[in-house]
Amino acid sequence: MDYKASAQGVLDAIGGKENIVSAAHCATRLRLVIADNGKVNKEQLENVDGAKGVFEASGQLQIIFGTGTVNKVFDEFIALAGIEAGTKEDVKKAAASKQNIFLRLIKTLGDVFVPILPAIVASGLLMGLLEGLTKVIPGMAESNWYTFFHLMSSAALTFLPILIAVSSARVFGGNMFLGAVVGMIMIHPDLVNAWSGDAVNSAPVLFSIGAYSVRLVGYQGHVIPVILSVWVMCFVEKKLHKVVPEMLDLFVVPLASVLASGAVALLVVGPIFGQLETWVLQGASWFISVPFGIGGFVVGAAYAPTVVAGVHHMYNIIEQGFLSNGGANIWMPIATAANVAQGAAALAVALKTKNKKLKAMAVPAGISAYLGITEPAIFGVNVRYKRPFIAGIVGGAVGGLFAALTHVGASAYGVTGIFGILITLPNSELGLGAWNIVNYIFTILIASAAAFAVSFIWYKDEAPREKDKVYSPLKGEAIALSDVKDQTFASGVLGQGFAVVPAAGKVVAPFDGKVTTLFETKHAIGLTSDAGIEVLVHVGLNTVALEGKYFKALVSEGDNVKAGQPLLTFDAKAIAAEGYDLTTPVVVTNPDDYAGIEVLCHGKVGFGDAVLLAKQKESETEPTAQEANPA
Amino acid sequence: MTFEYVIKDSLGIHARPAGLVVAEAKKYQSSVTIEAKGKKADAKRIFAVMSLGVKCGDTVVVTCEGADSESALAGMKAVIESNL
Repeated sequence: MDYKASAQGVLDAIGGKENIVSAAHCATRLRLVIADNGKVNKEQLENVDGAKGVFEASGQLQIIFGTGTVNKVFDEFIALAGIEAGTKEDVKKAAASKQNIFLRLIKTLGDVFVPILPAIVASGLLMGLLEGLTKVIPGMAESNWYTFFHLMSSAALTFLPILIAVSSARVFGGNMFLGAVVGMIMIHPDLVNAWSGDAVNSAPVLFSIGAYSVRLVGYQGHVIPVILSVWVMCFVEKKLHKVVPEMLDLFVVPLASVLASGAVALLVVGPIFGQLETWVLQGASWFISVPFGIGGFVVGAAYAPTVVAGVHHMYNIIEQGFLSNGGANIWMPIATAANVAQGAAALAVALKTKNKKLKAMAVPAGISAYLGITEPAIFGVNVRYKRPFIAGIVGGAVGGLFAALTHVGASAYGVTGIFGILITLPNSELGLGAWNIVNYIFTILIASAAAFAVSFIWYKDEAPREKDKVYSPLKGEAIALSDVKDQTFASGVLGQGFAVVPAAGKVVAPFDGKVTTLFETKHAIGLTSDAGIEVLVHVGLNTVALEGKYFKALVSEGDNVKAGQPLLTFDAKAIAAEGYDLTTPVVVTNPDDYAGIEVLCHGKVGFGDAVLLAKQKESETEPTAQEANPA
Repeated sequence: MTFEYVIKDSLGIHARPAGLVVAEAKKYQSSVTIEAKGKKADAKRIFAVMSLGVKCGDTVVVTCEGADSESALAGMKAVIESNL
């Protein structure tokens, strides 16, 4: 079918683009908010090619096109109507918040990991226990029972890239099964296992150009390369869906997207990460031998970040090295310090958070780290909330320092954490005395205590966002609206709310929503929350007269924004120097839609503090019952 | 019923006068719209009025339709003439 013709048909039937307030689509329907319903010709709409039904529900005009069609009609529709497309906005947003790329990556990492946590926590706990038991029970490692339990404990970690790939495909909006395929390619048994130490360096070479050589090595235990590759797959898949005709879609799109991402994974990502790993290995080998505990301190701090970056696979080469030279493995105690510190940081979060879900996740994640499996703690908890991760780094550094100063050594490798005690037993051949085991335990305790303390003090629950609340767009001193020295605002003509005497020249989004109006003079911005609350933030009084001087807008009209996203910046000093009152009213401009607007703050307010509550009218508690219809 | 007006306020319809216009429009049952530069806005919705981006020298057309359209038009005229 001709999507463009259908889109044009819809546009004609609803009275042209001027009559559209907003447009969106779900899995099957095009959902439009119409300014004047009188202009809509329903009969004409029903006859549009591809339209399977038309009806009005919850303030929207909904036109059913069906899965696979609606998105294409929607794309044509927004192009014809001249409405901002989501992707275009994304590009703009990316440009506006370049400084936040790191934070957005962290968020992506969290989004990918949270759904698969149950699998890896189970695996982590089982694996830690099993490895511990094999050190206690002689002959266990060779028994068939070991194999039996090992199947269950190691499956999720052995095939982790597949889980990550599926979850990533979901996050990036691609086909989850194609995502799984990409994950499978990356750990295909025909590739040399990434954990196989030196064998990696003798893996078959596909081709090499100078220093750039592509080896057939797998991605076991990798995280970031998998997410990257699946991102490529989803990108290609989504782009192709748009341009490939429906009839050829199934032939072309999956093939091309899997091929493209597989090629990127093996030809680009692989060599880069391989090289990085080699450098990290060289750096780590050098640092570990730096005296006075400095080496231990540095390695203890850097260990967890290298796990996150996925460049930690070669470390057991270092451990092997120590042992084959007839010395003790002094790497393991430092790795332990880093691992248990991440666990302790997660446990501190578990103790402090009031979020039951997070608590339920952080406890097993933390314990699993003590058994040597750190992924749940690092990716599931610490990195997502940033501060616990840094607390873990601090703990790792302190513990690493202690371990290096006291020369703690191990007689084997392959285990860390509590069961590591079993390989720090006195060993005269390696020169490990009775104190070795005591110092090892102290290493665990010191690393844990430091990480736990920092994490406990530093970690704070993010205030949960509620749909009926407005969160402070500014930082400063809150005052009553009636105290604003401007009659229009003080009398509440523009709406109800409060005002801030700003302490910083930045306005952030007060909720998840849309920029409804942005003055050319950039001194005021109007936003509508996803729940329909309209808020006007007017920076300073009479500042319209500055005609945009000292103001900078970071968003444009029509942009979707997330709570806390920077919207405007202004030079408070310069504006004050020109004689303007900087008092910034923050008002809900549609108070009539609510039973009342309650001011929740007084005195000092910070960005994101809950400041206003729009109280629902009694009769409108369940306005979206119709939305529950299966589409 | 409609009336036309050329904006004299050097800053156009900015937040404060927009607020006054909206407050006045809300007093009436009639629908009140403001048209400028080919765009039309519901005068009872502040963001709609602000989004018109009306500047000094622009012509606005105010339309009132409904039971009390006469008094609405008079009220709108008064508030616009005295503030813009």
